[in-house]
Amino acid sequence: MSKQVSTAIISALVPGLGQFLLGERYRGSGILIGFLLILATTLWYGQPLWYLSPLSIWLWNVWDAFHLALGRRHSVLLPLAFGLAAAYGIGWQVVEIDFSRANMERAIAILRPMTRPDFIQPRRELNQMWVPVEVPCSSQPPAARRDEGGRAAFVMPDCGRVSETLIVSVSGLWPNTATDIYWQTPIGNSLMLGEGEITMLTLPTDENGALTTTIRVPTTALVAAPDPTLPQFHRVYFEQSRPIGGYELSFIGSEVLKGALATVSMALMATGLAVLFAVPLSFLAARNLMSGNPLTYAIYLIVRTLLNILRSIESLIIAIVFVVIVGLGPFAGMLALALHSVAALGKLYSEVIEGIDPGPIEAIRATGANWLQVVRYAVIPQIIPPFTAFTIYRWDINVRSATVIGLVGGGGIGFLLIELIRVNNMRGVSAVFIAIAAIVIVLDYFSAKLRERLV
Amino acid sequence: MPLPRLLRNTLITALVIAAFVISYRVTEADFPRLLRDLPKGRELLTAFLTPDIVQRDLETRTISIAFPIPCGSAAVEDSPPSQGPRLVPGVNCAAPLEKFTLEGFDLQPNSEVVIRWRLPNERTMTAIRTQTDAKGYFRQEVQARPIQATVNGIPSRLEVDTLTPVGGLKPSQALKDVMDNMFVTIFMALLSTTLATLIAAPLSFLAASNITRKGCIGTAVYYAFRSFFNLMRSYDPLVMATVFGFWLSFGPFPGFLALTVVTIASLGKLFSEAVENIDPGPVEALQAVGAPSLHTVRYAVVPQVIPDFVSYIIYHWDINVRISTIIGFVGGGGIGYYLNLSINDFKWNQAGTAIWAIVIVVWMMDFLSAEVRKRLT
Amino acid sequence: MLRIQNVSKTYPNGTQALKNVSFDVADGEFLVVIGLSGSGKSTLLRCINRLIEPTEGKIVWDDVDITTASPAELRQIRRKIGMVFQQFNLVKRSSVLTNVLSGRLGYANPWASLLGIWPQEDKQRAMQALERVGIAEKAHSRADALSGGQQQRVGIARALMQDPKLILADEPVASLDPVLSHSILQYLEQLNKDGITVICSLHFLDLVHRYATRVVALKDGVKVFEGTPNEIDRAKFKEIYGEEAQEVRAASL
Repeated sequence: MSKQVSTAIISALVPGLGQFLLGERYRGSGILIGFLLILATTLWYGQPLWYLSPLSIWLWNVWDAFHLALGRRHSVLLPLAFGLAAAYGIGWQVVEIDFSRANMERAIAILRPMTRPDFIQPRRELNQMWVPVEVPCSSQPPAARRDEGGRAAFVMPDCGRVSETLIVSVSGLWPNTATDIYWQTPIGNSLMLGEGEITMLTLPTDENGALTTTIRVPTTALVAAPDPTLPQFHRVYFEQSRPIGGYELSFIGSEVLKGALATVSMALMATGLAVLFAVPLSFLAARNLMSGNPLTYAIYLIVRTLLNILRSIESLIIAIVFVVIVGLGPFAGMLALALHSVAALGKLYSEVIEGIDPGPIEAIRATGANWLQVVRYAVIPQIIPPFTAFTIYRWDINVRSATVIGLVGGGGIGFLLIELIRVNNMRGVSAVFIAIAAIVIVLDYFSAKLRERLV
Repeated sequence: MPLPRLLRNTLITALVIAAFVISYRVTEADFPRLLRDLPKGRELLTAFLTPDIVQRDLETRTISIAFPIPCGSAAVEDSPPSQGPRLVPGVNCAAPLEKFTLEGFDLQPNSEVVIRWRLPNERTMTAIRTQTDAKGYFRQEVQARPIQATVNGIPSRLEVDTLTPVGGLKPSQALKDVMDNMFVTIFMALLSTTLATLIAAPLSFLAASNITRKGCIGTAVYYAFRSFFNLMRSYDPLVMATVFGFWLSFGPFPGFLALTVVTIASLGKLFSEAVENIDPGPVEALQAVGAPSLHTVRYAVVPQVIPDFVSYIIYHWDINVRISTIIGFVGGGGIGYYLNLSINDFKWNQAGTAIWAIVIVVWMMDFLSAEVRKRLT
Repeated sequence: MLRIQNVSKTYPNGTQALKNVSFDVADGEFLVVIGLSGSGKSTLLRCINRLIEPTEGKIVWDDVDITTASPAELRQIRRKIGMVFQQFNLVKRSSVLTNVLSGRLGYANPWASLLGIWPQEDKQRAMQALERVGIAEKAHSRADALSGGQQQRVGIARALMQDPKLILADEPVASLDPVLSHSILQYLEQLNKDGITVICSLHFLDLVHRYATRVVALKDGVKVFEGTPNEIDRAKFKEIYGEEAQEVRAASL
């Protein structure tokens, strides 16, 4: 049997083996590994169309083996293309990529409010007045009128049933100013009185600061009442506001600042806590210190493995566990970051210890110094700067992680973010995004500067 | 005037201590609570250490007896048979919340037992789980939980399922689901890294000072892309994923897009730094030859930056696999989504399976990417 | 004929690299520019093909004003001017052949060359250029696999691909051993004999004596001498290089 036929047959049985036997080791093993990977992928995915890819790679491999035996080398571009086509095709379907889902109108509806971050607002002065009204009517309803600070308001009649029309009137407010009129139930729920009860009823006052209009008792006024037949006092509110110059932090803005502080604090606490545990652990995980006898070597292996496992679990996953243990809030997030950082710092520290220059140790020992003196004068000076640099670096990373740890209930700015998204407050989301960028960029800059000075 | 060293150090120390005190209060640190609640964690840890990997098919057999609560509300069960599988309660009936013992005889040996209440309206309440011994016997204290258990003279029934493993071990459903979701995760990382590379590679030249920063427009373009990269890089992909998830609703697609956007910024920055670090000689030589600027980039810059680019791409694929394992927590699909579901359903063993899968995949990627990058340089 | 008229160059940081330099270069000359490091030799050479924009003055080559040429015209001019660099300026990771071919980019079809497709004719020309500098067998090696002398020969081959009428050589031998220096300069001399004008900046005076037909000397950006090599006597030498300078022979290093 000629050599090319036998090579082709070998490659047909085990892809790449023929090429391997001809001395093309990389080509042969590459074909085998690639073929098996693609085969496993397509089999797992299970759509028969994609079986074409491993099949064509296999056919090409036989053909290639045949030609290689004749001394002709072909480019591997073709099988690579087959493999990539299957990988990306399957990936496309698995990841459910569908750009038609990218609804631009919705994107604009999300992005437009984001151009006006809710961080500060013009300072406004509020002028508020209310009048009680009984719903439903009792036998002897008290007069629905109220005077306060030169302002007066009344409702006619003095009480009403749900959906009944009432006349409300107020005087002594600021003249010629838009006034919001709304309903407040006894438990403090505000209900709107405009069109369909989903818009605010807003009317201007006249030049004397007076206003009279009709309202309907909201249909939902008694929904939350324990007993809808029991007469209770509801309130009709009149509210005016006007700018008084200057700006102030909005409610969301102050929440964002609190979240930012919690985020940075979480990272700081976590890093501090992690350093306390990582430093002693790193000595146990340093090969050069621990390979002396079998017992210490066993400790080294255990510590190393534990650190490695812990390091590959994202702090976010650890955070979920801590949320279950200690409840929602920054404490859970901080503990998760700390635990993950112990692993990450422990590894970095131990590498520093493994990499120290033995020269100074020898030199100090040669002066007759004892073990403690050797550590103090030869080891610590060598490891302090890199330890500090790695710690700052870790703090930097922890700040970044702290921004997301709230997404699973770990507290900080991420928690605020997910709450704001849930209630579709995109102006608030935009403020959070600005705050995150500011925190990360500023801390990035400072940590880079600090590390530059240390190294 | 520089501060005296001692004063400066004291000041720094004071600041650091103040920062930690503030942080301690802000993070609501409560270490006693941690110590107190740590036993809860032990339960989780045991569950994680016994991931749900294999299962055996279970055969379920059910027997039940009528059990009136309170006594007299309905007829009690006739005296039980003295042979075969049977349930024998310590009392025939009970007042609500009264405790009594329940014994089972001649059930399936060595099986898991689920004891539950079946209410007259066919709803069930699981009471307790236990195990039969080698003779198929169990004894368990049960509380009469249903309060208004008898409706129109029909009593609640005490029902016992015995779950007997039959046949050999096989991969559990959880393992299959985990592998399916891991498949999505790995492809999410692969596709987002690829797309990000295709976009970031050309853009990075626009953000490289030695290529773009010439003239007014060039400088503007340079700063525009520079700041875009720096800004986008400061967001964790998960933060991005929340917004993309809000836009495109749930699934791996928004996760993929969020990952892509952040990777574009991150790779763009790394790439542009690689472009800035090239040897300027060949660029000068090609300008002297009279080559158009695009050709100068093609022949003098691109060959120099390819090894760096490849190294960064592999490094980022590694990172992206890691991130796509958790992007599901905020609606990004993949293994993170599965893990989140398992945890929300308190299925800790399933969660353990997912976590082990994540550890293994992340480890493998770490190792592979380090090996490949070592080869490249 | 290349006329350099009152050329000055001030860098943005205020350094005045050239001050009012004027001289003419006739076709077929081997003009050597000498001077200390930082005297403005490199700036002068780069002003000629406008890799550096002169601040003032005019450079006219065969009745074309280089200093006012538009970007498109400038590329037309540049492709007729070959340049050889002190650090060779090769793309180290590309093959020798690609490096040489890139000298043809001023002429090549813009789209095909962007994809790395070259006409057979250009490839043959590149092989001929490599044969001319004696390293044709290295065509498919990576540029960084070559020695310094070989790399500079690739640089010359790249310049040859341009069909240049003028070659600017900026310290072509400063990074090389003295022995290799002669071999590189001999190639340039050969090209000069074939009718290409050469403007070369050099450090060592003995090389100047051996190869130059005419010499221009710069000191602190000012032209301090113009004439034949033989006219440089001890006094002139001290004027150019300063009082403490000792003449060092390249061959003796």
